[in-house]
Amino acid sequence: MDSVVKKIVREVKRGNQDAFAELMELYKDKVYHIAYRMLGNSHEAQDVAQEAFLRAYMNIESYDENRKFSTWIFRIATNLAIDRIRKKKPDFHLEDKVGGTENLDYYSQFASEEELPEEQIVKLELQQWIQDEIMHLPPKYRSAIILKYLEDMSLKEISEILNLPVATVKTRIHRGREALRKRLK
Amino acid sequence: MACSREKQTLINQYMDEEMTLQETKQFEEHVNSCAECKQHVTELKKTIAIVQSASHFEAPASLTANVMNKLPKQPKTKKWQM
Repeated sequence: MDSVVKKIVREVKRGNQDAFAELMELYKDKVYHIAYRMLGNSHEAQDVAQEAFLRAYMNIESYDENRKFSTWIFRIATNLAIDRIRKKKPDFHLEDKVGGTENLDYYSQFASEEELPEEQIVKLELQQWIQDEIMHLPPKYRSAIILKYLEDMSLKEISEILNLPVATVKTRIHRGREALRKRLK
Repeated sequence: MACSREKQTLINQYMDEEMTLQETKQFEEHVNSCAECKQHVTELKKTIAIVQSASHFEAPASLTANVMNKLPKQPKTKKWQM
């Protein structure tokens, strides 16, 4: 996998845009998913994911091939998502009501003509509730929790994506975890 | 005792799977005899299970095309050479 990615990146650096499309196919779902979990709606998630890939293309020369491409693209996407959250809400606190007031359109993810069976509705409501709870976390805890528990990344990877020491990542995971526990119990 | 800073540190180490076997055994023995710690650990495990049950989405099908359309024009000479 890694050597394939390296090859593709070299092609991109040579100016081959088809290669960039290949690269996007490999990472677009994860980038979009991280953005969605950070922002809580599909429209903004799509915006941020697209912007992340555009920036990656424009700055491909500065990408260090000795590092994982995934780390680099996730870092760009996470930074963009955090910037966007900051612009939306400069003073964010744990107690702020966000989930209920955000335009969360989880249902649109499953847009379908046919009527949903009750079982699926229950599942959707559960999923909506989980996202609401994630949105209640301050962004710095939210990113750590998403990368750790939704993307199943190692502390080292998370620390590289967030550009923070491992100890800080750990603290953020601990605090995010506790904040969620207190709300969910 | 359960809510002391020290206990919170132990709970974090336990949840992060950063304890030795011996430490884990000792901690679990304590948890089994301390209702407060037991509840705390159970709640944390439940919390993580809930978060991990969040669905994964795929990106919208148009995402790659949208980005490709915004890239600067490609020089004609550069083609695949893999």
